[in-house]
Amino acid sequence: MDGSFQKSGLEALVDDRVDEGVFRVDRSIYTDQDIFEAEIERIFEKGWVYLCHESQVPEVNCYFATDIGRHPVVVVRQKDDSLSAFINVCSHRGALLTPKKQGKAATLTCRFHGWSYSCDGRCVRIKNEKEGFGEDGFDRSQYDLNPISKLASYRGFIFGSLVDDVEPIEEYLGAAATWIDLMVEQSPEGLEVVPGSSTYVIRGNWKMQLENSVDGYHVSTVHRVFASTVRNREERESLKGLKQTEGGRLVGIVPSGAYDLGNGHMSIWAQHTTPERRPIFKKKEWLEANLPAAHVEWILEKGRNLALFPNVMLMDNPSTQIRYVKPISADRAEVTVYCIAPVGEGAEARSARLRKFEDFYLTAGMATSDDMAALEDTMAGSFASQAQWSDFNRGLKTMTHGADEGAKAVGFDPVSSSESWENETLFFGFYRRWRDMMSASD
Amino acid sequence: MDIDTNLKREVAELINWETTLLDRREWDDWIDLFAEDAVYWVPSWVDEEHTVTDPETQLNLMYFQNRGGIEDRVFRIESRDSYASLPLDRTVHIVSNILVAGVDDEEISATANCLVHSFGKQGGQTRASLYDFKFRKNDAGLKIILKKITLIDDKLEGPVDVYHL
Ligand code: FES
Ligand SMILES: [Fe+2]
Repeated sequence: MDGSFQKSGLEALVDDRVDEGVFRVDRSIYTDQDIFEAEIERIFEKGWVYLCHESQVPEVNCYFATDIGRHPVVVVRQKDDSLSAFINVCSHRGALLTPKKQGKAATLTCRFHGWSYSCDGRCVRIKNEKEGFGEDGFDRSQYDLNPISKLASYRGFIFGSLVDDVEPIEEYLGAAATWIDLMVEQSPEGLEVVPGSSTYVIRGNWKMQLENSVDGYHVSTVHRVFASTVRNREERESLKGLKQTEGGRLVGIVPSGAYDLGNGHMSIWAQHTTPERRPIFKKKEWLEANLPAAHVEWILEKGRNLALFPNVMLMDNPSTQIRYVKPISADRAEVTVYCIAPVGEGAEARSARLRKFEDFYLTAGMATSDDMAALEDTMAGSFASQAQWSDFNRGLKTMTHGADEGAKAVGFDPVSSSESWENETLFFGFYRRWRDMMSASD
Repeated sequence: MDIDTNLKREVAELINWETTLLDRREWDDWIDLFAEDAVYWVPSWVDEEHTVTDPETQLNLMYFQNRGGIEDRVFRIESRDSYASLPLDRTVHIVSNILVAGVDDEEISATANCLVHSFGKQGGQTRASLYDFKFRKNDAGLKIILKKITLIDDKLEGPVDVYHL
């Protein structure tokens, strides 16, 4: 594409002709830097994005620094326990305010010329103010921090928007809210992010990370080796703590499904062959006493991956994960993974959860590393403009419009349901949301 | 404490040998350097300046409570079925600053630094680590009972497996 991005070209990039049996995207949406810049402006800076989990700002004055598009943003816990979020940039000459990613400070003091801001964003001190700005009538409040336009928490997951004109958070999440509920309601004391994290760079487009996290179709090829490694481990019986992992899910022989949840959100699930090996199974009795039977079944027996448009993925499988993606350029993104777990979980279950996480989910693990390699190959291939289309037609003929029985049982209402996680119809919703936001009038 | 020069030499030899076997892809001989109950640990960073300290309650990049963990990795590499491990990245380890830190009846501890240059599909890159080793001495010589690798790089590009560390 020449010059700057043209909205009028968008219809041609998302070839949405489901009636004719076609849904495909032009691979330039992964490679074109002008499109990328437009995504930052029209998607990340004009709608809800995920910021952090409430356990990452546990006490008054705790902060967590992240980004919305090109804007550094800091989420701060206020004196009354509420949350605020500001552009994390000094009003004077623009230095970043927080020295660290996460911390605690009663005031944020800029380390360049020493201006200070209270945790509610007021500019409370300007170094040598009188000498520089005179004695009378100087109004420091003109230098207060810029709050972001919208901040909302859904059951502990915190989202923000740089613009006012967004739907209420419940409406934005829509059917995806039930998938968050299924994670949160496992723990009466709530969830917490476990200390430690890993950030890795993918040499690929950020949308490919979203796609990969809810692509069940690659599992029986890319993760075949994970399954065979685990089988080999179990045969060796040399690892007491780790030997009980899930093999069956990974070879494509279990019931599964996929949902286009609407608003760009997507999800997949697959039946656990051995649910009793999951850390949460220790709480079976509590779950049965406190939750509807259909929820208990979904929680205990279905491994679930949820991708929330545009930048976060929540996984509840043998281990549990928040995966956050930060777009850097068309062909680069930073991904940070956190383990999220029930507060007050027993030591044995917590340790098992961590070991399963490390086994699978990290770039130093035995599955995510293979995902990354496949993703980076897909990126390399996407530059071939004479092989233009990425195809998402699998399952198009068999999909159910609206909810299937499983969705009805727990009460969420997807745009479409698919009876196999190998089907690709869930991506329709992602790319329709993408197209709609990219072509919205200003 | 005076540490026996022969022991120092033996420790240095073993650390150099360990990384040499990785670079030369002598996987079985590499595994043999570790005791059955050897712990292999790569902590994650809990903030900009500190790694996690308790693998039981915190997230690690790798934490194997016995030798089975590295046996899994070698199985996966040798299967030729891992997307990230075919083709296998080439590596060269440069180990330095080997110091024997302590000796008692059962255990010898040592530290070292390591630079690993690797080359793969996406080109070359260099990462650095602090090594903490523990060894057990018996009649047959030294066995590794702990290899802790503090990878100082974050924002990792590309896969990280045992031969990158
Ligand atoms: S840039 Fe912050 S005080 Fe000058
Ligand atoms: Fe995968």
